[in-house]
Amino acid sequence: MNFKSLVFLLGAFVLFATSCDDEGAMFDAPMVSAPSAVANVEAGATGQSVVFTVSIDADLTASYQASGTGVTVANASGTVDGSSVTINYDAGTTAGAASITLTVTDSEGQSDEATAVINIGAEESTVLLTSNISENTTWTADKTYILGGRITVLDGVTLTIEPGTVIKGQAGTGANATALLVARGGMLMAEGTAELPIIFTSVADEITGEDVAAGNFGSPNLDSDVNGLWGGIIVLGKAPISASNNNGDLSEVQIEGIPTSDANGLYGGNEPGDNSGVIRYISIRHGGTNIGAGNEINGLTLGGVGNGTTIEHVEVVANQDDGVEWFGGTVNVSNVVVWNAGDDAIDTDQSWAGTLDNFVVVTPTGHCFELDGPEGSLEAGHTIQNGSIIASTADRVSEDLINVDDNSIVALKNLFFTGIMEGQKINRVTAAGVTFEGIEFDVDAATLADYVNGAVPAGVTAGTSPKADVSVLGWTWAAQAGGLDNL
Amino acid sequence: MRLFLLAVLALFCTTVFAQTGTIRGTVIEDESGFTVIGANILIKDTSKGTVTDLDGAFSLEVAPGTYTLNISYIGFQDMAIEEVVVTAGEVTLLNELRLVEAGLELEQVVVTAKAIRTTEAALMTIKKKAPAMLDGISSARMQLTGDATAVEAAKRVTGVSIEGGKYIYVRGLGDRYSKTTLNNVDIPGLDPDRNTLQMDIFPTNLIDNIVVSKNFTADMPADFTGGLLNVETKAFPDEKIFNLSVSTSFNPDMHFNDDYLGYEGGNTDFLGYDDGTRALPQGARAENIPTPISGASQQEVTDFIQEFNPTLGAQRQSSLLDFSAGLSLGNQVSVGQSDNKLGYIFSLSYKTDYKYYDEVTYGEFQRFSDPDRTDLRYATIQEGQMGERNFLVGALGGLAYKTQYSKFRLTAMRLQNGESRAAQFRIDNDGEAVGQSGYIAESDNLEYNERSLTNFLLNGTHVLGASGWEIDWRLSPTFSTSDDPDIRKTAFTQTAVDTSFIAGAGGNPSRIWRSLSEVNAVAKFDITKKYKFKGEDAKLKFGASHTYKQRDYEILFFDIQFFGGQDWPNPTPSEVLTEGNIFPNGNRIYYQSGNNTPNPNAYESNVNNTAVYVSNEFDPLPNLKAIIGVRAENYVQRHTGRDQRFASGDILEGNNLDNEKVLDALDFFPSANFIYSLSEQQNLRAAYSRTIARPSFKELSFAQIIDPITNRIFNGSLFEYAGSWDGNLSETRINNLDLRWELFMEGGQLFSVSAFYKQFDNPIELVRIPEQQTSTEFQPRNVGDGQLYGVELEFRKSMNFVSEALSDFGLSGNVTFVESRIDMTATEFNARKNFERTGETVENTRQMAGQAPYVVNAGLTYTNRDKGWDAGLFYNVKGETLQIVGVGLYSDIYYEPFHALNFSLNKKIGKNQNTSIDFKVSNILNDRVESFYQSFEATPEIFNSINPGRSFGLGLSHRF
Repeated sequence: MNFKSLVFLLGAFVLFATSCDDEGAMFDAPMVSAPSAVANVEAGATGQSVVFTVSIDADLTASYQASGTGVTVANASGTVDGSSVTINYDAGTTAGAASITLTVTDSEGQSDEATAVINIGAEESTVLLTSNISENTTWTADKTYILGGRITVLDGVTLTIEPGTVIKGQAGTGANATALLVARGGMLMAEGTAELPIIFTSVADEITGEDVAAGNFGSPNLDSDVNGLWGGIIVLGKAPISASNNNGDLSEVQIEGIPTSDANGLYGGNEPGDNSGVIRYISIRHGGTNIGAGNEINGLTLGGVGNGTTIEHVEVVANQDDGVEWFGGTVNVSNVVVWNAGDDAIDTDQSWAGTLDNFVVVTPTGHCFELDGPEGSLEAGHTIQNGSIIASTADRVSEDLINVDDNSIVALKNLFFTGIMEGQKINRVTAAGVTFEGIEFDVDAATLADYVNGAVPAGVTAGTSPKADVSVLGWTWAAQAGGLDNL
Repeated sequence: MRLFLLAVLALFCTTVFAQTGTIRGTVIEDESGFTVIGANILIKDTSKGTVTDLDGAFSLEVAPGTYTLNISYIGFQDMAIEEVVVTAGEVTLLNELRLVEAGLELEQVVVTAKAIRTTEAALMTIKKKAPAMLDGISSARMQLTGDATAVEAAKRVTGVSIEGGKYIYVRGLGDRYSKTTLNNVDIPGLDPDRNTLQMDIFPTNLIDNIVVSKNFTADMPADFTGGLLNVETKAFPDEKIFNLSVSTSFNPDMHFNDDYLGYEGGNTDFLGYDDGTRALPQGARAENIPTPISGASQQEVTDFIQEFNPTLGAQRQSSLLDFSAGLSLGNQVSVGQSDNKLGYIFSLSYKTDYKYYDEVTYGEFQRFSDPDRTDLRYATIQEGQMGERNFLVGALGGLAYKTQYSKFRLTAMRLQNGESRAAQFRIDNDGEAVGQSGYIAESDNLEYNERSLTNFLLNGTHVLGASGWEIDWRLSPTFSTSDDPDIRKTAFTQTAVDTSFIAGAGGNPSRIWRSLSEVNAVAKFDITKKYKFKGEDAKLKFGASHTYKQRDYEILFFDIQFFGGQDWPNPTPSEVLTEGNIFPNGNRIYYQSGNNTPNPNAYESNVNNTAVYVSNEFDPLPNLKAIIGVRAENYVQRHTGRDQRFASGDILEGNNLDNEKVLDALDFFPSANFIYSLSEQQNLRAAYSRTIARPSFKELSFAQIIDPITNRIFNGSLFEYAGSWDGNLSETRINNLDLRWELFMEGGQLFSVSAFYKQFDNPIELVRIPEQQTSTEFQPRNVGDGQLYGVELEFRKSMNFVSEALSDFGLSGNVTFVESRIDMTATEFNARKNFERTGETVENTRQMAGQAPYVVNAGLTYTNRDKGWDAGLFYNVKGETLQIVGVGLYSDIYYEPFHALNFSLNKKIGKNQNTSIDFKVSNILNDRVESFYQSFEATPEIFNSINPGRSFGLGLSHRF
């Protein structure tokens, strides 16, 4: 090492030492800043937080004190760790301006403070639901409930919905579809009234609780044939089903529309009197989005629902798949309107052993009735009676009139079909388990045979008298829109 | 880069100074087949000489003439090779000169160069002496037969069957239990869901050898059970290679066919990649895409929909012929005045083919619930036609440099593959079947799959003089992608009264984007020490490796919705996305997103696999060789993904994995191989080993992958099914026992009989999910323990035993019979029992999925080297194999045996046989590729059926 480099090194060392001295003489004062945006929280909201940005001299430690006005601060003091301090708080119950002030003091006694402004608003009128309902819950008419996913009422839990409540499903298809699922053992107490029905619709629907309270049950912005905007309602029970997946004497399968990966989608059992609750005066609209081809959600799906359950006064409007579909079970259903279904209107499978009484079907795209037989060893049948069916209108046509399988077991009584077009038929009259009684087609008697595939059964005649009592269906959107006028 | 320039320079140099010729060769020990390092090579009566390098190779430049070569090495008899003819500018090859150990009398072995050139038995020596039971094909043999690509060469390896014209499996065990490596390094295939690499991309003139190992030794990766196939590329080509080839193939059913189905793609489709024509529209990834109900303006919605490619229909077009072209070149040159050598290879290949299947059927069948009914009924039958257009561009390059004791090599490979597919189907769904709604629909399906693979290998081999130590290290990263941009399905449902889209029937038109990218990095080293044990050659080998793999996967799904009713006066796919139908006009079409944030159909997985092993090869008794080793692998697989519940916001009950371990095991894989030489020609072998088969990334995920044509859904195994599946997929551990007697005869002839037993702990099979009845869904599950035993007969025989006149004819074959058994779980047994037909007795055991009960490979070959003829007739069949395990309503699905009979003829013409013409006929029997539902006393019903047809190929290649 020569002299020159020695001098250089020495110089560098001196410079370094001096600069160290300078640093040691003074520490940076702490700095605190609050978020620039005003935080909006709901009155009474709990578990809120605000994040302050702080900077402390690297060689020092610091502590903080927080005080709140109009809010309750959870962590009012502590040590500063890192470049931020998060203050947790619960909002007060009175609406208006509130604030939190944070003071940071470092180990040299230097301090700084900042204030975060919080706006406490009135209680939120919409509630976004993203998790399953695992404890007894009531949905009230003063709020709008948004289904943010497939929301399941779990086994042993009751969901009560007040009359006049509006529930809206978020948009999505496939895995992204939203629905309300009542699992086996769960209870849905959705008891609307003719004056205050419960409405299930899409977030795109601008209908509000006020509209319902005012007696305006129709959508203010969506046409009555807009479908597939969300999923639907699925009720599952423990009543017997006739399914192929026999596991000893218990038969249970996964409901259509719910991926098999969700065990809450299983239904079926051996309790015919099973009770899934009460469904009364509800209108289900614009749903039925698909999960995969051939795998959609019906407006109202009833899988293995027992006859301890009450289901009456139900309307399904513009569902992309079927209106109401039964998969086995024993439940009786009455006073139903299915309007503009994207597939079948009334669909039965797996030996549903109940009665559908007093109903109207208006222009489904698929079958008006898609009635299947047993799939397993259990063989039971159902009765469909007192219904009026409009098979076509100027812009909508149904695929056929009645579609039964060879092994179907159904008693069809007192049904009136109108709006019948050429090509629309009863697909089969030879099924041993299917009986026809009082079926009237609004066609020229001479052409009656054109609408039946095979010999016309004695119970099928030409006639013009509607069979459903539409007076009890006046509360529906279909009735309010004039869709039931000629029945 | 400098090396490359050097190589180019060297190429020119050899061309310029062509007044000398070259003698090249390799020297091996006769008994062991080991290379001889440091043997002296002298040209008699000259001062020219050299020593063999670490590959046992030597190279000498001499003036044209006829010479005698003297070879000597301490402890071995001297060898003289006479009549070595050297021509200016050409290479005279003397490969596999076999030095015999010196006995009492120190005689010199004298042979002629011609005799050396016609023996082609080195690989047989390796086979005879190898610790593992293996088979293979050498470059010498490939040159003889004139096979163009590795896939054609591999089918000559006994016990190897070819699937789909490009994949290889061994002994009838499926892809799960097979593995391929390139230059002894793990490499993912172009198809990321397969273990095996496609073989049709390697030109044979750049392959040194293909070796198939049928049992495990500790130096191999432990995750194969049926066979490990390794492709070794050439590092130092013996002679200058400059080869051009073109070939074409004609299938009367597929080519020049005006009914061929295609669709309008992009401008770069012919290069194997999409130019953006199929790109995901901007903004489609957003959580809230513009729809009439998203709050976006009408114009935004319309603009967004118009960003989707409006082509939804398949078009009838005319198909042309298949075509392929290849260029390969390579050489080795001496660097400077030293004996150091530089080798290089390069190949470029291009392939395009048309496939048109006019009878494609997919079926979903069910049993009846009535036990008296043994027939099956359909739920859905899809029948139609499908056109496929495939483009493959491949490039392979390698540079290698060696001194006497060290060797370095760098290879790089790039494959780019694009396949577009267009199909039209008529879908008949039977409403009477369980879970079905009943409909008739006509669908148009458009698909595109783009794959790429980029692989590098840096390899060094060092021999520490004559000490017996050898070190080999390898670094190999691979980057691969597999994307399916814009899969489109448009299915109009037809009813008695009109035709429209019905979501609950044929479904609304949908589009899917899938993307996959994978990184695979391998680092390994192997150290070998040759030593003497009880006076005999022995070899200690140990090493370590680390493999890191990482995959990103994503599916995005969109479907068309109608903001109101539909009316289709002219229901054709081309009408759908016309301006008059896009929102707010006409049918008011808009696109809805099926994608949650976060996406349940997206995942990221990675693997860290660290392995160490030690293996010792020695002769404990005279005539008995033992190879005893153990390998340890610490394998950790991590997964980031979530199920639908979590993705739709239920963070309490949903499942979410954030880089969590889904596999974590340290396993020891012992192996013991014994070879007892009954005589010089006969071996008796016994082997025990433990191996493993691990679940793939896809199998250990929450992904639900729908096949857009069949609507069949693959479910990742992380989903639980109460009562039947716990969501924990574990590895399969396998104990293998092998016994073999083999007889080697002159001229590469061979006869062997083997017996083997394998015991599977938790085998993984694809199972139909019985709870789901509307759609057809499958899931990989551990299905209860399995075992199999089998016998294998293998032979390669010249027909000279019939008559000397037939000595150019050869017969080779491999017949395997396997009895496999799965002991069912109680769940599976009960589910089967519940669906027992009248008169049927359901057993609690069954065949293993993927395991063929028999495999027959047979080949009749004719080779006349002097006249340049080579011809072969090859037959392969695999017995009825369980494909998917059925449960309850759904019966088992079996692959139908496919009788593949292929013919190839090759004629070399011209001076030095430089031009080669080949003619091929594939699928002479015109068999169909099919699998069937099978149930007790039922007529088998179609699951998949496709007719590949018979094709005729003609190829021309020329060596310059």
